[in-house]
Amino acid sequence: MSDLLEKYVRPEKNPGTACKGCGLRLAHRKVLEAIDELGLAQGDVVWGTGIGCSGRQTFVTWKGDTFAGTHGRVYAMATGLRLALPPEKRLILTVGDGDAFTIGFLHLLNAARRNVDMTVVVFDNLGYQSTGGQYGVTTPLGSKTDSSPYGAWEPNWTQRGFDVLRILKEAGATFLARHTVLQGHEPVDSLKQAIQNPGFSLVQLIYPCVTHYGVQALGTRDLATIYDWFRERTADDLTADENTHFTTGIVHDAVGSRVEFAAGLREFVATVQKGGGNG
Amino acid sequence: MKRTFDTGNAAITEAAIRSGCTLFAGYPITPATEIAENMSRRLPQVGGYYLQAEDENAALHICNGGSIGGLKAMTATSGPGFILFADAFGWAVSSEVPVVIVNSQRVGPVSGITGAPGQGEFYLSRYLTHGGNFETIVLAPSSVQEAYRLTVRAFYLAERFRTPVIVLADQMVTDGWETLELPETDAEFLAMGLEVVPRRIHPGPEFYPATDDIDIPPVVLGHNTGAACSDWTPTDRGHDTEDITWQHKHAWRLIHKILNHRDLIDEADQWFLDDAPEVILVAYGTPSRVVQSAVRAARSEGLPVGGIRPISLWPFQDHLFKRRAIYLVVELNWDGQLVREVQRAAADGSQVHFWGRCGELPTSGELLEDIKALLKHEPLVRDGWRTEKW
Repeated sequence: MSDLLEKYVRPEKNPGTACKGCGLRLAHRKVLEAIDELGLAQGDVVWGTGIGCSGRQTFVTWKGDTFAGTHGRVYAMATGLRLALPPEKRLILTVGDGDAFTIGFLHLLNAARRNVDMTVVVFDNLGYQSTGGQYGVTTPLGSKTDSSPYGAWEPNWTQRGFDVLRILKEAGATFLARHTVLQGHEPVDSLKQAIQNPGFSLVQLIYPCVTHYGVQALGTRDLATIYDWFRERTADDLTADENTHFTTGIVHDAVGSRVEFAAGLREFVATVQKGGGNG
Repeated sequence: MKRTFDTGNAAITEAAIRSGCTLFAGYPITPATEIAENMSRRLPQVGGYYLQAEDENAALHICNGGSIGGLKAMTATSGPGFILFADAFGWAVSSEVPVVIVNSQRVGPVSGITGAPGQGEFYLSRYLTHGGNFETIVLAPSSVQEAYRLTVRAFYLAERFRTPVIVLADQMVTDGWETLELPETDAEFLAMGLEVVPRRIHPGPEFYPATDDIDIPPVVLGHNTGAACSDWTPTDRGHDTEDITWQHKHAWRLIHKILNHRDLIDEADQWFLDDAPEVILVAYGTPSRVVQSAVRAARSEGLPVGGIRPISLWPFQDHLFKRRAIYLVVELNWDGQLVREVQRAAADGSQVHFWGRCGELPTSGELLEDIKALLKHEPLVRDGWRTEKW
């Protein structure tokens, strides 16, 4: 594993900013593993990041070209950037659950609508952890956090029949998957498919936050206890009981079913030019 | 030279195309919609990309994303969209990304009145984001022809300074129809005093050197240079840092790359100032054209009156106001914005008065009446800060 870090991560950024025991390092490595197994070099990937724990952990860690957007806007930036990049260049964005599913959701939906070739990896730590632990739209109902001392009551987007990934499916995404980082090689396989998809892909990668979610919601920093809590609530079956916290697997695979945004726009522009541009 | 009759919206479009703009992302808004429409027609003809963004916040972020990929990009809006640029504008300033922003000002606050000219974003254009620690370049056209020239200038300055440049127009400039001369050859373009700087690519690794130098190529991703740019305070390599010394270096660069090269930015018209006139009228954008008429009319009556029109608004040109005089600042708003900078910059012993209106221009007759009042040291007939006549 240290070979992977040496190969892809800037030495001055290793180790990263994640807390001791945080699942974020594991999540970050899953992405590097997928890149490595696909045989991609540093020049093959442009890496963008959002704000929060995930942004801090991954920003300017990639040895190649990299950027960090303002909170929630990295999908819009990637839409413009995609037009400038050659189609073979892989565009990977590592962001948090707040960045993708709340503050940036409008832009995420529109990136899916356009089927922009990008792979959004949502490092989901079940709430706003970099600000000290407040509930978000993926926080399990009833969780005690710093902003839900009596338990989180706001409807969320991952339980009781809701699935935020189904909204993205309807919006036009062509590959969608969800895993926890405790599921071994499964998330890597999904990430590989996502990265290879010449269209909009999103992989939700749930990981345990020890410092805030562990302490506030689960009442422990003990890794084994926290990991057990996650494993007990994970079903490797998307049709599992709707009260199961984490139903994992490939949610939607429509790779190749839609024209990719930049390819489509280039073709459109070429058609206009051939027609003499008499609009 | 191709002589046409067209709008400021068309002039801005042709200037962008001539400057090598290949990406426009925008959200339709009166009175800037025609810029989007014109770009949607013209960009594909030259192999460029037109996008309708989900909102203005996305529009400028899409432009920023295209620009860090190496495309020259522009967006255009009016007040209600301009305010939504705050997020992306700050990112472009801090990451030193060239991009051009057009604002056709209308009457506010908020949605106000869509199709009427206003000048409410004089200060907002200076501080279009939070956090301070930066300077902004803002250019203000007063005619269709000048909208062409200043849009080309905006692209030119954006590349040389690695920064967003704002063209602060108003509804009458962008919607107005006037004679527009478009250069057809490079020689004609150069003869107009215009130039295009092609996009260059920074080779790395010192993407953010702590100097006030301009003409440093911007950060461009996709060439495996190890390019890094972000919203965080950067080291010279673009790595995020919480070291306050790097913050100081970064802020110093953002401020002084602009302030130390003002000779490339500063521009103004000055009318009848050689004989130390008692009264000097000041305005930018469309109202300045009425001001010019009023000053000429006053001169034809032998009155000691001059005029100043700042063409570049920010950085503010304090040096224009070093004459001791009675200044009358004419604006399309009732709260007085430009006038506050004139009050600050005016020579000791000067008087500074404000003449405001919204939605329509003053007439030169109205201004002449107030010029005469000021020369007699009488109160203004229309005082923009106190009038209640409607």
